[in-house]
Amino acid sequence: MATVSADEAAPESAERPREVPAGSTPDAGSGFAAAAADPDVALMLRCQSGEEAAFQDLFRKFSPRVLQFARRFVGSEARAEEVTQDVFVQVFRFRHRYRPQSRFSTWLFTIATNLCLNEVRRPERHLRVDLWNRRDGEERPEGPPLPDPAAVTPEEGAAARQLGQRLEALVAELPPKQRAALLLSRMDGLAYRDVAEALGSTEGAVKALLFRATQTLKRGLRDYL
Amino acid sequence: MMRCRRATRWMVTALDGELPARRRRALDGHVARCPACRHEMATTAAVLQGVGGLATSSEVPGRLEQATFRRVRLLAAAEAERAATRAWWMRLRLPVLGFATAVVAIVAVGLMRSGDRPLAPRPGDGGRRVVAQAPTKDKPPLVASRERRDPKATATVPAEPPPQLAAAPELFMDLPLLRNMEKLEHFEAIRTTTLDDGGEQSNG
Repeated sequence: MATVSADEAAPESAERPREVPAGSTPDAGSGFAAAAADPDVALMLRCQSGEEAAFQDLFRKFSPRVLQFARRFVGSEARAEEVTQDVFVQVFRFRHRYRPQSRFSTWLFTIATNLCLNEVRRPERHLRVDLWNRRDGEERPEGPPLPDPAAVTPEEGAAARQLGQRLEALVAELPPKQRAALLLSRMDGLAYRDVAEALGSTEGAVKALLFRATQTLKRGLRDYL
Repeated sequence: MMRCRRATRWMVTALDGELPARRRRALDGHVARCPACRHEMATTAAVLQGVGGLATSSEVPGRLEQATFRRVRLLAAAEAERAATRAWWMRLRLPVLGFATAVVAIVAVGLMRSGDRPLAPRPGDGGRRVVAQAPTKDKPPLVASRERRDPKATATVPAEPPPQLAAAPELFMDLPLLRNMEKLEHFEAIRTTTLDDGGEQSNG
């Protein structure tokens, strides 16, 4: 289990003004207004009051994304599942620290990022390149190939898949913080300020991380672009 | 006029829709005029699109779900048990504190009273023992407490008056004894005078 301090993994969610979900008033300071606008906030508030079913709903909704996110930081499928489990146990343990003024997904991925970055820093971790290579007879969930609307032939499809695999490998080789910033920024509903909060950083730093990550990927895909 | 280096740094932010409007207009203007930056913008867009196309979610195995729920239930049970133990201790805390406070107060009062006890005068010592202990600021003078005087001590007349009295003889001048001391000086003469002495000493 990743050694992470409670404060580091599950921070108090920030109370600075942020982009409010559609339908809620801009000055909504109470959790009830936020809950009315965001169903995830409502679930989390019910979880805080001890409802087990609310926690289970949150798990079923977000665990696929957290698992895929964790896969890109750890060296094995089993460890990715352990990290995912740890993330949701932390969500439950520190549920009272969540403040409804911020998105639940931001708070969730703050915890997930902290645990994943801690996992990367563990000395006994070995990044296995074959995580992204199909093993014989193994059903491995594989991401879709690089979108290629013009691909109509099998050859084009194969090229797209190859490009996708190359991209996966390049992402895996990025420094952890650049990788985290890149992946978080591609997630639905996470703006730069949310990514900054998840990384414990600033928007300016997030922009710099994304710039450097993109430059690295462009250099690695030079032959494909 | 914007330079290509700055334009390149703004491209990712612009494609993510996070670049402020004024800067976005400046970037668009530059890209329209610069073929190299136009190509760079297209390349950046393709890379970001490719990253966005990577899988962002995957199927969660049933064992992971069950294991997580089991851990959370154990955690909830442990929290409930801690809360119940804390409540039990809180209920006892006030009576225990009250009892401890009372014990400390009783011991403190007892210690204070034993420190106030005056020294009893020894036989033959008279008032000397009492005088030897000069009164302090936080203690009343021992001469003031007369409750514990030994009733069996014999009253003996001191050979010399106490220093305080000797230093202030005027204190006793009002005493009738001293006022009539002069008359007593003639007492011996009165007592020994007889009529046969020829009236050498007149009565008066």
